[in-house]
Amino acid sequence: MKFLTSFSIATRALLSHKTRTFLASLGILIGIASVIVMVATGKGSQQEVMDVIAGMGENMITINAGEMKRRGGRLRLSGNVITLTPRDAKRIADEIDEVELVAPFEERRMNAKFDNNTSETSIAGSTLDFPLIRGYKIEDGEMFTEKDLKTASRVAVIGKTTVKNLFGDEDPVGQVVKVHFIPFKIIGVFETKGVDTNGLDQDDLILIPLPTLMRRIVNQTHVSRIFVKISSRENILPGTEKIRELLRESHKLKDEKEDDFTMVSQLDLEEMKRETSELFTKLIVGVAAISLLVGGIGILAVMLISVKERTREIGIRRAVGATRRDIIRQFLYESLIIGIIGGGLGIALGVGLTLGLTHWGDWTLLLDKNSIWTASWVCALIGIVFGVFPAIKASKLDPMEALTIE
Amino acid sequence: MSLIEMNSICKSYRNIGFETQVLKNITLRINEGDYVSIIGPSGAGKSTLMAIAGCLSQPTSGEYFLDGEEVGRLSDWKLSRVRNEKIGFVFQAFHLLPGVTALDNVVLPLVYSRKTPSNIKDRAREVLAKVGLEHRLHHTPGQLSGGEQQRVTIARSLINNPPIILADEPTGNLDSRNGIETMKTFDKLVADGKTVVLITHDSDVAEHADRIISIRDGEIASDTASQSPAGSSSLSENPK
Repeated sequence: MKFLTSFSIATRALLSHKTRTFLASLGILIGIASVIVMVATGKGSQQEVMDVIAGMGENMITINAGEMKRRGGRLRLSGNVITLTPRDAKRIADEIDEVELVAPFEERRMNAKFDNNTSETSIAGSTLDFPLIRGYKIEDGEMFTEKDLKTASRVAVIGKTTVKNLFGDEDPVGQVVKVHFIPFKIIGVFETKGVDTNGLDQDDLILIPLPTLMRRIVNQTHVSRIFVKISSRENILPGTEKIRELLRESHKLKDEKEDDFTMVSQLDLEEMKRETSELFTKLIVGVAAISLLVGGIGILAVMLISVKERTREIGIRRAVGATRRDIIRQFLYESLIIGIIGGGLGIALGVGLTLGLTHWGDWTLLLDKNSIWTASWVCALIGIVFGVFPAIKASKLDPMEALTIE
Repeated sequence: MSLIEMNSICKSYRNIGFETQVLKNITLRINEGDYVSIIGPSGAGKSTLMAIAGCLSQPTSGEYFLDGEEVGRLSDWKLSRVRNEKIGFVFQAFHLLPGVTALDNVVLPLVYSRKTPSNIKDRAREVLAKVGLEHRLHHTPGQLSGGEQQRVTIARSLINNPPIILADEPTGNLDSRNGIETMKTFDKLVADGKTVVLITHDSDVAEHADRIISIRDGEIASDTASQSPAGSSSLSENPK
């Protein structure tokens, strides 16, 4: 029997039971659609995280004073280590070729006051390279200068969140805020930057020259962090190694002693996030497998009922010369078509939902072509696999008994 | 050469330890062009004999030559081919596919045929015209009367041009007028050279044939020539 003939027999049988056909394919439909949406959600959030990481500073290494431990899923510094200094930052800038920019950094959470408004914010001290490394851009006014650093002058560039908290709609440039009873003149405003990988608001800060912070506010000579920008992505690893050697030498650490600083590069962050998203992927695969199994069982049940109900039809076909193989083929085509219908509608629904949520909802979803391609052959496979048993059952019916069944 | 040659055919069913012998030592020959009735009360084994003759079921023992080929021990696949090529079935309950047009029902054996003629539909129209249904091509069984349905079945049995037509109680579900029509169709087929085997419990129907084989308790009780020549007898007005 020709392929087209058995195909049209199967199609006709399915068309004469439209509701049943649709219900049989419903499981596959929902399974495929949800997998496509989930994969798109995963992809989207991964892309979002990668954007955030890149946004924190391209080819950046963060050197943290002390040992860093993961607590509650976030990296936190432990202990109070005072060995990291601006002098280290200067040596890194001067002595390591792979390094492009260096910014020693210290911050305190403190109250800032303007008029009657008080807001706790991050008072950050750093150098001119800080905005360049971290990707902060001046939106209004200007950045402080080399001279401000040298004279430890009381000027500040502030982030959008702090502007909102302290000034509301007022123009902050030229105004004076008080931090720790010291007046600072606002000379610039940063563009909005959003949250970092830890979910912290990067726009909630007042940036002042590092020497001003160290001498006038915190009264210390060490810093808790140094941001470094490496010239290229390939140089991140060798650069990290050279910085480590330099710092160990500078901090006079003997061979057996552990580092008193922790370096986290952009690569490390990406790796961390990749691990999380791998877990997510495994979860998706698991959920997909379960829902497709359920869908397959739906097909199995409907096909078994269909075989039972059409026993006489099978008998008629056998009587006029259909072989067992013809019967198997007919029912396999039916379950295959059910699978493909479910898959097709599932892909349509999944893609539709993904595009819809991206367009109208506040979601970042990224359609994954792979998942669509996989879905389209998996649904066909399920149709066949779960159709085999009913098809064989149909073919095993005794023609005479099938004909005389009530 | 006989078209159907059965030697000592036995058929028994095993049911919860009990063996029921339905056919005992059936030996018979039917030649090409014969018009044969197999008659007997219900439970005599007529239907089992027809199932074996039609290759829908296989004998427990004995030999069965159909058109010169021993079919008693063929594989399921080969039996399907034999049914397709050598036998046309006409059933009491018609056994047409529901919801499918007369034309498509008639075409069905050709769907499973290995030597499918190119113009299937023309051939189907031809046989439907032969049974006088050229005006009902696109009606489904539900839209046809019992007599019309039975004629569709006959058309289906003819389409692959098999040497034998096996009819199991062809008038059983029909009123007398349609029964007469149906029997006339069979008479005509024999006149055209087909071999027709009728299975019935109705002696009036059986009388249409040239030869009446009577079955009782799984054995051939008698095998006689019919009193009246083919097609000349008329059915009683009230066939059961």
